[in-house]
Amino acid sequence: MSCVNGAVPTTIIVAGLALAGYALTMTAMNRRMSVILLGALGVLEILLLVLVGLIVAKLASGARPASVPTLVGYLIAMPLVPVAAAFWGLLERSRWGPAVIAVAGLVAAVLMVRLHQIWPVIHV
Amino acid sequence: MSEQPASTRTGPGRLLVAVYALFALSATARAVVQIATKFHNAPVAYLLSAFAGAVYILATVTLTNGSPTARRIAVVSCSVELAGVLGVGTWSIADPAMFPDATVWSGYGSGYGFVPLVLPVFGLLWLRYWARRTRTGATAATPAEHAGDAPR
Repeated sequence: MSCVNGAVPTTIIVAGLALAGYALTMTAMNRRMSVILLGALGVLEILLLVLVGLIVAKLASGARPASVPTLVGYLIAMPLVPVAAAFWGLLERSRWGPAVIAVAGLVAAVLMVRLHQIWPVIHV
Repeated sequence: MSEQPASTRTGPGRLLVAVYALFALSATARAVVQIATKFHNAPVAYLLSAFAGAVYILATVTLTNGSPTARRIAVVSCSVELAGVLGVGTWSIADPAMFPDATVWSGYGSGYGFVPLVLPVFGLLWLRYWARRTRTGATAATPAEHAGDAPR
């Protein structure tokens, strides 16, 4: 069986970890939320939406994972992670705003590993 | 020194609430799917997952609210959570047959990078900071505290 393009999840892992590293550096340096952080979060959001599109295309071709409800849950929750982090992080006017963004980056990376466990055709 | 956070949901609390919300959502959603689709595989594990999800939801809501009553409930839910992760963690190692499928708290939260183990500790430390600050006649109290506190 053919696989979902592995370049996208791999890019999301690298981008998520890089975002988390940068955001935690900002927290350590006592910086607030910045346009750069929001831009990086936007890039992560676009990558996640591309992956959702690829997985939906895979489902449309007739392939199914062991647990469809779990995968559908991930498809809904995944693109909400950067949005929720941006909302919650922007409310904070201290170093802890970037810390919230760091969590979103780490979660995006972990979600890629979990997606592979849910449906091995999504490989990294 | 930087400004003091205004509420349990601001400053470091912003990060704490974000991680609690994440666990509330993931533990609850996972338990709902497991109970709905394959309850008989591992009933104890799935019910414990659902209970963990409920505790995380309660902690998220009360830490976000931050009123004195909410903080007291948050102390209870964080304590239950710590007892849960230690108890279920030990139980899952002593009697793996009871847990054919993992819960959030199995192996002391090892499936979730041990975050379930450290989260209640940070929650309780944060709540202790707030309890002390309120006791010492705090500045920048929450609106709820302003309403209830007479000037000392």
